[in-house]
Amino acid sequence: MRISTRGRYSLEALLYLALLPEGAFASTRAISENTGISDGYLEQLFIPLKKAGIIRGIRGAQGGYLPGRPIAEITVGDILRAVEGSLEPVACLTRGTCPAEAKCITRHTWAQLYREISDCVDSITLVDLVESYEKQDEENYAI
Amino acid sequence: MKISTRGRYGIRLMIDLAEHSHEPHVALASIAERQNISARYLEQVAVILRRAGYIRSVKGASGGYTLARDPAEIVIGDALRILEGDMLVVDDLRPGERENRIQHCIRATVYNRLNERVSSVVDRITLASMLGTVDPEESYMYFI
Repeated sequence: MRISTRGRYSLEALLYLALLPEGAFASTRAISENTGISDGYLEQLFIPLKKAGIIRGIRGAQGGYLPGRPIAEITVGDILRAVEGSLEPVACLTRGTCPAEAKCITRHTWAQLYREISDCVDSITLVDLVESYEKQDEENYAI
Repeated sequence: MKISTRGRYGIRLMIDLAEHSHEPHVALASIAERQNISARYLEQVAVILRRAGYIRSVKGASGGYTLARDPAEIVIGDALRILEGDMLVVDDLRPGERENRIQHCIRATVYNRLNERVSSVVDRITLASMLGTVDPEESYMYFI
């Protein structure tokens, strides 16, 4: 039940942008240097993230990217859904996708799991991540 | 973030066995037909469950499978971990593998928490409790 590389890299890039001073932006090159994610991969991820309003681009030679709205209003769930699509643990939860849904015994369990996953990722904002980043022991984790 | 078909089919296989526990054993072919799953794929899933001691095979011309444990003692989380390998949202760190501060922070704040929440759900559900959950009215609540 893995989060994809797209999902993990997007969270890393967004946390990096969230750590910048308010209003500051960073080029994909700077993000790449600080996260270890390649330029090309970042460009790919930024298409759906921009579309979802999670990041915003500044055009020009000195341009770059910054969070698309206040970081208190960007959740881990927003980011993951933008790049992973649905967070449903099984594809058959959406009503009408399975002819056996009314008598399916497992559906209820997957639904509970989905609710728990959604609750969790929707309750963590980028502000929470920034706070936890600032609290963590600096000695062992040099970038 | 999906449960694999192996995980889903494995659970359905055990549910089917539990529902037919009044029979001495159940042929895999009849489960395959009822559950609309390929018999060959189901056979692979059955091997995993048999090795882990969840189901027992009955040999012979009219052979088949039966649950090896009481449904109340089959925790869905344990069964899923056998079928899926684990129930983690990201790989564990390999020995000696290092993360940068950003990755470390996300692991602690997001992944570890998600893993706990996933476990908290699947570890409180047993095969027996699942068998009492067919309630279309209730499932409506989650998917309006």
